[in-house]
Amino acid sequence: MTGRRLLAALGALAAATAHAAPLPEKGFGLPLDVSRDGHHIDSLLWFTLAAIVAIYLVVLGGMAWTFLRHGRTHRAAFSGGSRRSIGLLVGSIAVIALAVDGHLFVATMRDMNEVFWNFAEVDQRPDVVRIEVNAHQWAWVARYAGPDGRFGTEDDVITTNDIRVPVGQPVLIQLASTDVIHSFYLPNLRVKRDAVPGMINGLWFQAEQAGQYEIACAQHCGPNHYKMRGVLTVLSREAYQQWLREFSEVAVRGYDPDDQEAHWGWPWRSL
Amino acid sequence: MITAAELKAAEASQPIHAEPTSFWRKYVFSIDHKMIGRQFLWAGLIFLLLGGTLAMMIRWQWAFPGRKVPLLGDLFLHRTGGVIGPAEYQQLFTAHGLIMVFFAVTPVLIGAFGNFLIPLQIGARDMAFPKLNMYSFWAFALSQVLVLASFFVTLGTGGAGWTTYPPLSTSIGTPGSGQSLMVLAIFVTGVGSTMGAVNYVTTIIRLRAPGMTYLRLPLTMWGIWLTAILNALFVPVLGSAGLLLLFDRDFGTQFFIAGAAGVRGGGDPIVFQHLFWIFGHPEVYILILPAWGIVGDVLSFFARKPHHWYKGSVGAMVAVTVLSALVYGHHMFQTGMSPLLGEGFMFFTLIISVPSMIIVMNQVFTLWQGSIRFVTPMLFALGTVIVFGVGGLTGLFLGDISMDLYLHDTMFVVGHFHFTMAAGSVLGAMTGIYFWFPKMFGKQLDERLGKIHFWFTSLGLTAVFGGQLLVGWAGQQRRLYDPYQYTFIQGLHGLNTWTSMFAFTLFAGQMVFIYNFFKTIFFTAPTNVQNPWGIPTLEWTDAASPPAYHNFDRIPGVLRGPHHLSDPRVEERLERDFLGQAEPGPEGATSAVEPA
Repeated sequence: MTGRRLLAALGALAAATAHAAPLPEKGFGLPLDVSRDGHHIDSLLWFTLAAIVAIYLVVLGGMAWTFLRHGRTHRAAFSGGSRRSIGLLVGSIAVIALAVDGHLFVATMRDMNEVFWNFAEVDQRPDVVRIEVNAHQWAWVARYAGPDGRFGTEDDVITTNDIRVPVGQPVLIQLASTDVIHSFYLPNLRVKRDAVPGMINGLWFQAEQAGQYEIACAQHCGPNHYKMRGVLTVLSREAYQQWLREFSEVAVRGYDPDDQEAHWGWPWRSL
Repeated sequence: MITAAELKAAEASQPIHAEPTSFWRKYVFSIDHKMIGRQFLWAGLIFLLLGGTLAMMIRWQWAFPGRKVPLLGDLFLHRTGGVIGPAEYQQLFTAHGLIMVFFAVTPVLIGAFGNFLIPLQIGARDMAFPKLNMYSFWAFALSQVLVLASFFVTLGTGGAGWTTYPPLSTSIGTPGSGQSLMVLAIFVTGVGSTMGAVNYVTTIIRLRAPGMTYLRLPLTMWGIWLTAILNALFVPVLGSAGLLLLFDRDFGTQFFIAGAAGVRGGGDPIVFQHLFWIFGHPEVYILILPAWGIVGDVLSFFARKPHHWYKGSVGAMVAVTVLSALVYGHHMFQTGMSPLLGEGFMFFTLIISVPSMIIVMNQVFTLWQGSIRFVTPMLFALGTVIVFGVGGLTGLFLGDISMDLYLHDTMFVVGHFHFTMAAGSVLGAMTGIYFWFPKMFGKQLDERLGKIHFWFTSLGLTAVFGGQLLVGWAGQQRRLYDPYQYTFIQGLHGLNTWTSMFAFTLFAGQMVFIYNFFKTIFFTAPTNVQNPWGIPTLEWTDAASPPAYHNFDRIPGVLRGPHHLSDPRVEERLERDFLGQAEPGPEGATSAVEPA
């Protein structure tokens, strides 16, 4: 059996296991969060939901009250507002702006600068897992650097619609696209980033729970957009290391220097 | 005070022309703003029905993926045996979005109400450039023809989504001339909108009747004027983006093409998004500002009470207009823009919620201490406030970068903008249609049918777009042909099916409106409807229903603001609760109504 065939067989096996897995979510709520940092987003979502429901109910309640009490039989006041009513209006809006918008702004600045867009710091972490993902119509192709730690060498592991990561380690992904714009979306990890032709975009997450989760495309990318689905498998550290080692050995055996199409990829960038 | 000389000068600058008598000049190539307004109304309503039909097919696919579409399938989808395929599906949502935004809501809110109302509400005999007005409509009509033509070419109409992001919208992603025709249609309608906008802006600046100061304009005029300013500034940007895209599609340029297809170095797909959204976000306000204006006036008229803090509402609408171009980047948080730029856009997005809240809260405060009359236009106005509230508040999630990480490009976005642009704008437009129908056609729509239509529409819209928000919250992406390919979405099938059922009900409810509309126009006898509700603005007090060709026999001299209602001095002397804007009133009643 040549290396290439073996690779194909292993790939088919991986695809078969990958397709079996992720369970449907139950109910209508947010999908299960298995990431280290998703709770930042979830807590803001719940905060905002509570705030807007409260505001909305107060306003609706006020409207309902006027419907009941200030109907046709009520004598209309000849007034375009008083100092007091305008003060109440401006005051309540100021309170909402400071308490809700203000909190959102401060919390999000912290989240983005310290966590979600803090690629430089993540890239420095010793245990970071680096993956290059190239999107095309209609699949996610991933490239791991292999044991030598360098991209574009013969020990690179390449997978299609099947990304495997270790639990509890930061995973930094650099995204590109060959044809049209796609968007790499992990609902269970609360992250998303566009894959734009001609650009390399970053995204990172840390999974805290082993299992299989879906990779979705969020940006309309053609008729088969709905089929651009991959599986993210979160493995234990040992299982991940073993998988990477085995696949890398297969990759070395199957390496073909003349296969131009397989040689996509780029030297790792600092984002 | 208005002097006789001022009035005389206004009369002299707008002489009365004889009404044309030939059919073509009167009904087709008309330069009468009232006829052009009605032309826009018809053209817009027909495309509203078309866009709605496409939406029903999308909803069918989400409820029963891959099943034959009843009724419409045999009519439109004979190539696939009545089933929606992935290629047809992407054309459905692309055409639905473009038709609704550019060819249905825009012509009704801006084309119809703008043309019909501007001269009547400011006290002018016609627009500043009547011929330009006619060209504007015919450019629009041509663009509608292009849209229809795109359905009949090989490979069908465009399929790159209403945002037409390249490279998908170039020949790499959507070959065939359908997408080109769609882009060309947007360009042509942009030409028409720009002509209209220039005309509106000029008319409101130059042709206000003596005494009609800016702070005496009805809020409808403020909304339409600010919208026209945004249109004049930003529609040309969209036009240029569309033109460059056409070059990329058909003449081999590479402005927006990169990646493997960018063989000659390539361009930048993100530049298109900047050009698109610097138009596209103001567009959201282009569609809501007229609705805000109409609703602000109608709430005041049927609460029989001056608008609460008129100056505050005007100031807030101006603030929204200025800020609208500074927030557009929130559509592009995930494209890889620099964090500093993204955070700046987030800041302005959060800021724009302040003037928006002022506008909505002023509308609510107007009801307070009123004497509310629940007639059909009032119901629609109240409905607009309630649904726009949901749309505005859910915007908080999406203007915030970290929540947008999760919610971006999900159905939550779809639900949000449908609550604002579809529910808010359409209910606002319906408010206007029920309110000005007597002025346009000299007859009043049936009140009972109007109320039935209101409940179907407002509850239907809320249920459908609420369902979109719920599935988006659970993570479902937008624009999925078969969402249930994803296991995490499979649990939402029931919810999606229910939402579709509500959508079909909503659509069926519109038949009540169509019946009412045609029944009234063709089978109802004209009644005395010059001012059926006792409204103080010029079109009701000083013009007939429908108005004469030259609108006003004498150009009115305006004495006060648009909401002079329930003044006790007026009630005592005139035994009615309103005083027209140009009506000499009891002494002391001429001053604008403002807080003490």
